[in-house]
Amino acid sequence: MRRVIRTGFGRGSIPREVDDELAFHLEMRARQLIGAGLSPDEARREALRQFGNLDEVRASCVAMDRERIRTMNRVSLLQDLRQDAVYALRVLRRNLGVTTVVVASLALGIGANTAIFSLINAVLLRKLPVRAPDELVVVGNPSWVNSMSYATTPQGNAHSYRTYLALRDRDDGLVRGLLATGRADRLLVHLDGGRGEPDRPRGRYVSGNYFHVLGVPAFLGRTFDGTEDETTGGAPVATVSHRYWTNRLGGDSAAVGRDVVINGARFTIIGVTPPWFTSEIVGQQIDMWVPISMQGVLAPNRQVLDDPQAYWLLFMGRRTPGVTFEQAQAGLQGAIRQILTEQAPNAVVVSDVARLEVPVTPGARGLSRVRTSYEAPLVILMVGVGLLLVIICANVANLLLARAVARTRETSVRLAIGASRARLVRQMLTESLLLALLGAVAGLLVGRWGSRLLLALAADGSPVLPLDTRIDVVALGFTMLLAMLAVVVFGLVPALRASRVDVAGAMRASAKSLTGGAGLRGGRNPLGRALIAGQVALSMVLLVGAALLVRSLRHVEGADTGVDREHLLVVDVDAYSRGYRDARLATLAQELGDRLRRIPGVTELSWSENGIFSGTESASNLGVPGFTAREELDSISYFDQVGPDFVRAIGGRLLRGRAIEASDAPGSAPVVLVNESFARFYFGDGDPTGTTIRISDSTLAQVVGVVADIKDQSLTAAARRRYYTAYMQRPLGSPGALRFLVRTTGEPARLVPDVRRTILAHDAQLPIDGIDPLSTLMRQSIREGRLLTRLASGFGLVALLLAAIGLYGVMSYAITRRTGEIGLRVALGAGRGNVIRLVLGDALRLVFIGVAVGVPLALASTRLLRNQLYGVTAADPVAMGVALAVLLTSAIVAALLPAVRASRVAPVVALREE
Amino acid sequence: MLDPDGGLVRGTLDVLILKALSWGPRHGYAVAEWIRMATDEQLLVEEGPLYTALHRLERKGWLSAEWGYSENNRKAKYYQLSRSGRQQLRAEVSSWERYARAVTKALAVATG
Repeated sequence: MRRVIRTGFGRGSIPREVDDELAFHLEMRARQLIGAGLSPDEARREALRQFGNLDEVRASCVAMDRERIRTMNRVSLLQDLRQDAVYALRVLRRNLGVTTVVVASLALGIGANTAIFSLINAVLLRKLPVRAPDELVVVGNPSWVNSMSYATTPQGNAHSYRTYLALRDRDDGLVRGLLATGRADRLLVHLDGGRGEPDRPRGRYVSGNYFHVLGVPAFLGRTFDGTEDETTGGAPVATVSHRYWTNRLGGDSAAVGRDVVINGARFTIIGVTPPWFTSEIVGQQIDMWVPISMQGVLAPNRQVLDDPQAYWLLFMGRRTPGVTFEQAQAGLQGAIRQILTEQAPNAVVVSDVARLEVPVTPGARGLSRVRTSYEAPLVILMVGVGLLLVIICANVANLLLARAVARTRETSVRLAIGASRARLVRQMLTESLLLALLGAVAGLLVGRWGSRLLLALAADGSPVLPLDTRIDVVALGFTMLLAMLAVVVFGLVPALRASRVDVAGAMRASAKSLTGGAGLRGGRNPLGRALIAGQVALSMVLLVGAALLVRSLRHVEGADTGVDREHLLVVDVDAYSRGYRDARLATLAQELGDRLRRIPGVTELSWSENGIFSGTESASNLGVPGFTAREELDSISYFDQVGPDFVRAIGGRLLRGRAIEASDAPGSAPVVLVNESFARFYFGDGDPTGTTIRISDSTLAQVVGVVADIKDQSLTAAARRRYYTAYMQRPLGSPGALRFLVRTTGEPARLVPDVRRTILAHDAQLPIDGIDPLSTLMRQSIREGRLLTRLASGFGLVALLLAAIGLYGVMSYAITRRTGEIGLRVALGAGRGNVIRLVLGDALRLVFIGVAVGVPLALASTRLLRNQLYGVTAADPVAMGVALAVLLTSAIVAALLPAVRASRVAPVVALREE
Repeated sequence: MLDPDGGLVRGTLDVLILKALSWGPRHGYAVAEWIRMATDEQLLVEEGPLYTALHRLERKGWLSAEWGYSENNRKAKYYQLSRSGRQQLRAEVSSWERYARAVTKALAVATG
């Protein structure tokens, strides 16, 4: 009864109701007073007097009633919601099969998106976990974080220590504190005072104010306090990460204050950083920080502190309050230019500085080498998984739509007994919401696992990038947003359809009729069919993208590298830091080369300064008679210094003249070998052999031969012009490095232990930086491309599968609904072939619509891939054709199953079903 | 029982309303009449505040209300004790009795 009252009174009628109640009272009282002998007027006055302040009472009654109704509505809304949820759960449990499929598909879609997004979040979005990261600015190119380059021309991407000191000590108020950070490779740490196995922590040279500027406190002990920079070589102290402290120092607080030996010098561990701090570099975990001023102590053979031509440091500063980023940027760029100008030895360098680009960028997201290489692939993958999710939503919508149709009768009954349409839509949306939530929760788990899988895939055998892919608030928000979008996409369609149910029509009959007449095409599921066409279109986009990437990767992997890539071992020994220079270095190359050549399985051997795919490059300016440079870069060429028989040993092809030979030794006239690109650039079609060119500033050398281009540092970049001098002749001074190139008969990886043993037998203290088959190095160099291709192919296949399943479902559904019609056709003499053709034709019509939409869509969206493609264009007809063929084949297979089933319909059974 | 102005002690009106409704649904006027008669017109109950109290008790959920027809066939709002209202009545009656006993005893001692 209460309920009737509640629903009977709207908001507007509360005052009237109170008025009615009070009027009734006053009338009763007046009537009683008249009975006691008062006149009607007197009675009314007396009744009012006895009542008291009528207006005040009325107002407070109205207020209280309003409040009561509000509370009641709130309670009933909650009750309705609970009712909806309970009902939805019941429905979902009853259709456990459908529910499982839907939740699993959503988990896959949302999970894949979450996984990619958590990588994007970690690499591209998240800010450093330090105090006020938005105040930080980076001076230098953030991706040059591990660079160490020596150049005679001024550089802006990284800076020298001298530039750091000059910039730090300027007092122009742009930044409070400026830190410097640089790569510290090869730290050999003996934790037990020089005995036992050395430890190789990932180290970093930092300025003394590093921790202070970043705002990183000590977890234990203390961090650097700024005094470390005061005297060169005077601060033998190190700060270690929490992780290193836990893993290597046993998490023992007594480790602080302990002496260790680093590269032969005694250091004291003064502190441990907090667990949340891994470094200012995204995707790189640092174990140990040592003061920059100790660089000369730790690398006595490679001292760079006083070398203004060693560009190896990046700076980070904290903007002074009130200074905008733009002001800081302009100010710092000006300061760097001024400092470099002051350092310039001559007018040429001064004019170089004027043209130099000096990157100064916001530093909130830290430094990173991986950000540049992964940004484009990650964005592409995000688009890919986004499309995949849309396809999944379409499939789910189709499933739910089919169920909504199956529930038409239930819906119409509920409408007939008085449920409002809004309530029904809400009920159905609650179901979808519940599905989406289940999918999102499962998706988070899938995503968590998926991002780790992605990192493992990305590593491709090498150490996994230490990225923080935890699901943080941003990633969680993203996932939930996806779930909500999914509800809108797959939940709204069936819900709206349900609300449009024609009560009378649906109640009247099960609506099966032999005289439907519109054929399969006119089936009752136009929305479902549109969804299928859409799925086909999106699958087409993903398939074309995947096909393009696969073709491009094939192209890159199969490209002619100019060397025998399958039989080469690249051996990198750090002779320089062991003190080998000039003649001693040449002797080491000669003697160690002879020993290595005697290893069984080695057929040929040579060496060079930069090796192949070992990550270092040399370049110089040069002069060629008769050639005038149009721009400065025209007179710069890459070069390498190579041992005797280099070309033959690596399997290169000599095109003209002769190669570098053992006779090209000190004392004989300097010679160079040039590559094809070099010859074409400087000599056109002419023959360069015999010409004397100037290499570097003043050295003259005669061109003795031309070698075919070698892809020696990158598979994807175009070949660079390059010349080769004789390692033994050293016309440009002592080479800085030594890499052996060992040609083998069999699988080169198998010789690694022998090579290592031989090197250590020659010089037990010679540091070995790497012994890798060239094919491995090459594969690693296209790691991002391989990852992108693998994942894109995976997504393409899943999309294809989903579209096929969707098509199968819709065709099966159409056939079930049309069993009667098909039976009649068979009864009237249609053959099995006719029926199959009918169904297949119907399915292919859908596919063609999808393809017609998908092809232009693919053409438009593969432009996103342009920069990832080598050897194929974004509109590659082969890729398009392959995608189309795969799609059509799968569509035919998917449609054939229901078609065959339809053709087996026995007319009697079909007719009886009516 | 009477405050200096001759009105009701705070809270007393509520328990009287609950008691008035303990025999079944009544409209506001009938509640007022019952209180007047049951207290032998000793208590001065202003009628306006009675309605404020009725609406307050309804909001608290102790009373429910519905519209019906009075003896003389007029539309009237009938109040009824809810389950929680009945519990409230029992609690208030017993606490009132304890209070009254204690005060009476104290007064008896003081004057004796």
